[in-house]
Amino acid sequence: MKMKDLPEEDWFVNGHTACPGCGGATVVKIAMKVFGPDTITYFPANCLLVFGGTYPLNSFKVPYLHVLFENSAICAAGISRALKRLGKTDTSVVAFAGDGGTADIGIQALSGAAERNEDIIYVCYDNEAYMNTGIQRSGATPFGAWTTTTPVGSVEAGKGEYKKDIPRIMMAHDAPYVATATLGFIPDLLKKLEKAKNKKGCFRYLQIYAPCPPGWRMDASLGAKISKMVVDTGLWTLYEFEDGKMTINKKPKMTPVEEYTKLQGRFRHLTKENLAALQKYAEDKWRKDQALAEAYS
Amino acid sequence: MYEVRFHGRGGQGAVMAAQALADAAFVEGNYAVAFPWFGAERRGAPVLAFTRVDENKINIKTRVYNPDYIVVLDEKLMDFVNVAEGLSPDGMAILNSPLDPEEVDLGMSVKTATVDATTVALEVLGAPITNSAILGAFASATGLVSIDSVKQGILDIFGPRIGDKLAEKNARAAAAAHDRIKIGKCKAERTYPEAKKWLPTYQEMPLSLATKPTKTDSGLVGPGSSVENKTGSWRTFTPKYDEEACTNCLMCWFYCPDAAIKRLEPPKKVGFDMDYCKGCGICEEVCPADAIEMVR
Ligand SMILES: Cc1ncc(C[n+]2csc(CCOP(=O)(O)OP(=O)(O)O)c2C)c(N)n1
Repeated sequence: MKMKDLPEEDWFVNGHTACPGCGGATVVKIAMKVFGPDTITYFPANCLLVFGGTYPLNSFKVPYLHVLFENSAICAAGISRALKRLGKTDTSVVAFAGDGGTADIGIQALSGAAERNEDIIYVCYDNEAYMNTGIQRSGATPFGAWTTTTPVGSVEAGKGEYKKDIPRIMMAHDAPYVATATLGFIPDLLKKLEKAKNKKGCFRYLQIYAPCPPGWRMDASLGAKISKMVVDTGLWTLYEFEDGKMTINKKPKMTPVEEYTKLQGRFRHLTKENLAALQKYAEDKWRKDQALAEAYS
Repeated sequence: MYEVRFHGRGGQGAVMAAQALADAAFVEGNYAVAFPWFGAERRGAPVLAFTRVDENKINIKTRVYNPDYIVVLDEKLMDFVNVAEGLSPDGMAILNSPLDPEEVDLGMSVKTATVDATTVALEVLGAPITNSAILGAFASATGLVSIDSVKQGILDIFGPRIGDKLAEKNARAAAAAHDRIKIGKCKAERTYPEAKKWLPTYQEMPLSLATKPTKTDSGLVGPGSSVENKTGSWRTFTPKYDEEACTNCLMCWFYCPDAAIKRLEPPKKVGFDMDYCKGCGICEEVCPADAIEMVR
């Protein structure tokens, strides 16, 4: 599907209360244009739940469920199995979770659903922290980033650990479809959303980068630009893992990570040594991802 | 006891102002509480914060519904929020506005103090952050707390969060605003639409596979009902669109987080729905033809 072929109609409509420039809202708007009306959505606690579905208003024109933070993948799997009992195999069941709900709190449910190969699409919109509760670190927060729980002072300078690689964990489950995407590469993103939709009857995982201007201390207009830069620096590899085969979709330009970090206040305090560590992480990541693609070719 | 309700936008510091006022009253030997109203709204959206002050212990835990004073940090709020709702007729409004009190319309005529807190903040802080300046105006308009206590309150509350140096500057902004208020009575010409007072029961919610909202007495509910939220009121910057220059590449349409850009029938290209545009500026940033410019 080309961008111009996306429907004009939205299934995630305006009037939602996301912050100006919210990457998560854009990801969901576009994903819903691709998934379309025959979709049932599930949400754990996160920003999206709050800005898209605070009672009695709702931004989704499709059925919308929320149970708990920990069990997105299980609940989605339950919906999908019930539909199967009713003879409905075409309906997409989609869980939209934040990175906190995916990398930390919901990971056992996610792992179980992937291992049982449940018929669901799990979309993690990755804004790299627990944003809804006011910016706390998650497993998916990158090295060096300031959050309220990784403060910057004389002892600590932002998060000391590196980003947890969830797509790689999903690959270790041999899930039929795992893909990473960002808003910066439109045809790639649309291709992956479409594949996830059309590959029925199995577990599908998408991790989509979702810039958060307040949480990243960034100008609200930079979401698209930063979504491209994160790939160019090598901090985010675009790839697909389909039926046991991994394909890298974009060779990073290996732009210095500083070009990326200097646009975001959450990285403002980084020293030369910190930046060198992050640069090394980007280079190592690219090397490892290539090796993985080679191994899974 | 007196009760104060602060009106601001997410990110403007209304909560810190409410806390600094409570601290100032506490310094003078009173009991005081301050707390925000946790709506589910975000940066730029209207927010509320409250301060209660009494000589005795305060046991009331509710929101303030009938304030003695309202404090408005952002004058554009008055265009769509009934800031004077529930305000005691003997109460007072303290507003950030360059206008005279007589020129302001709150839909009810009450004693009003205006101060151009934005200008004060630009002069003293170099940024349009008005939560400290407005407190100086509160002190001089009401006489309930001294300006010295307000300055102390600002140092106590702002200091640990933004650093002592910046807190000092904010205390100076309060002092500067203290002497620049105008007092009078505001107009009562406009009416605000009746706000939603109740939530629908679950029986009124459309069931299961419905894909359209239902209309109830309290407005739309159910799937897609958020279109009732006119989030365009959050906007500070507005896109100015040059159709001539536009190449109809649809990048702005794709990236608008608020789906506020619509494709139009040719030969028209795209249109902007100002009811929803929050003014983030992504459209200007992604436009390869420079056909969009964000203006104040
Ligand atoms: C079991 C449980 N713990 C904590 C919370 C509080 N809580 C609600 S949303 C949220 C943050 C969600 O973060 P993330 O999943 O990253 O999504 P985001 O808000 O960033 O979109 C938290 C901690 C909760 N609702 N349930």
